[in-house]
Amino acid sequence: MEEVLYVSGKALPHITPHLEVWGSVIALYLFFGGLAAGLLFFANFFYLKGKADFMPMTVKVAPIIAPIIIILGLVLLVYDLHHWLYFWQLFLHVRMESPMSWGAWTLSIIMIPAILWPLSYLDDTIEYLQNRNPKCKLIGLFTWANNLIKKLPVLPWVMNLFNNNKKVIAYLTIYLSIILGVYTGILLSAFNARPLWNSAILGPLFLTSGVSTAAALIMWLSNDHSERKMYSQIDLFLIAVELFFIIHLFMGMLSGGVAQVEAAQLFLGGPYTAVFWVLIVGMGLVVPAVLEIMELSGFHIPIGIPAFLILMGGLIFRFIMVYAGQASGFNIL
Amino acid sequence: MERSKTYMNSYLAGILIGVFMIAAYYFSGEGLGASGALKAVVVTAVNDVNHEYAKEAHFFKARVQNEEQSPIKSWLVFEILGVIAGAIISAAIAGRLKFEIGKGPNITSRSRLIFALIGGILFGVGSQLGRGCTSGMVMSGMGVLSLSGFIGLIAIFGGGYVIAYFFRKLWL
Repeated sequence: MEEVLYVSGKALPHITPHLEVWGSVIALYLFFGGLAAGLLFFANFFYLKGKADFMPMTVKVAPIIAPIIIILGLVLLVYDLHHWLYFWQLFLHVRMESPMSWGAWTLSIIMIPAILWPLSYLDDTIEYLQNRNPKCKLIGLFTWANNLIKKLPVLPWVMNLFNNNKKVIAYLTIYLSIILGVYTGILLSAFNARPLWNSAILGPLFLTSGVSTAAALIMWLSNDHSERKMYSQIDLFLIAVELFFIIHLFMGMLSGGVAQVEAAQLFLGGPYTAVFWVLIVGMGLVVPAVLEIMELSGFHIPIGIPAFLILMGGLIFRFIMVYAGQASGFNIL
Repeated sequence: MERSKTYMNSYLAGILIGVFMIAAYYFSGEGLGASGALKAVVVTAVNDVNHEYAKEAHFFKARVQNEEQSPIKSWLVFEILGVIAGAIISAAIAGRLKFEIGKGPNITSRSRLIFALIGGILFGVGSQLGRGCTSGMVMSGMGVLSLSGFIGLIAIFGGGYVIAYFFRKLWL
């Protein structure tokens, strides 16, 4: 009797019945990536608008968070790799058709301005902190770093070069930050086997969400009334855009094939319905929008509440998209 | 009175709670509750960490038998999220939305927080022994004319009056 061995793609662990490859680490990485992209976007954008001295938090202080969370995100990314020691191979390959390659390269290039930008404003940052919060423990650390930079051999020269070409660099950084923000969504939408992710609107949606979390964070950190008010307005606009994209994501899915309709059903009656509409759309978008409208119309709202809700909404959004995307599939086949 | 401008009339608020109670029973089949939401969070956390234990333990097992559905998917959890959002918005409309620690004049914030924590733990344990807290047992229970609701009302508020004498220094 001859033995026949059947090998089927339907019995692969971690792939069927649904993908179980990416977890909270990737969701957190996408959140940090979007947040950093937003912070750098606002810093460079308002620098080019000539607002550096009017919006110190946006242009000078907040960008210091960007390199920290990018590094944190990259550590998470490497941690998620199966073969940790091969991570550097990402940086030796350029593959135009791979969003991961684009992301790895964008991240490594944007790291340069992300680090140099806050360093070039370190004097102003220390002064800002001394004026607003003299007890802040970071002042000592920043002063130490500032003195160290001036003593190092090559760095002052690099900083000079950076400062002399700041305008060109700012244009480039804006461009890169948008790529970074879009990449956090495109990374998912490049999966054509997962119908929930495989939508062209995911890139702009993740970009908007990332920029909106950054606006919320700057709004929270800022002490300046007019700066806060402006970010309230920006955030309101971004929330509206995000809702628009979310509606279009579902419209696109529902008018697609059976697999796309099934993917949309995960949020429209399926297991992710309550958490998506209550936590992300409700608590993460609508409630902060209501609070910000109230704030703009004269009610006193502690700004931390809407900012916290937006940041949490953005974080949960990435978790849900990562998990729900893996749960979606061409199950009909 | 200054207060009446910022707080709703308590009789009106009571009637509204009754109306919402009827609505809650109509739409969800359950009354209002507060500790139940926290219990759902605790059960979900324990279930996620150790499903085998949760399946056997008396306190958890009733809620974790259905493997398909997470115990967090409970009406009370979403009710509490709505309570938080609603509280923030209504406090903002009344112009008293701010971060503060409400305490008596003669104690520090630190001791207020410690006593609040102790009180919270005691109330948490008590609510589980009594199968519900002020809202879950007393209000929802009385709403369906359950005897335990009326006994709970007497026990919770009567106990509060008696014990309050010993802790009056926290507030006076």
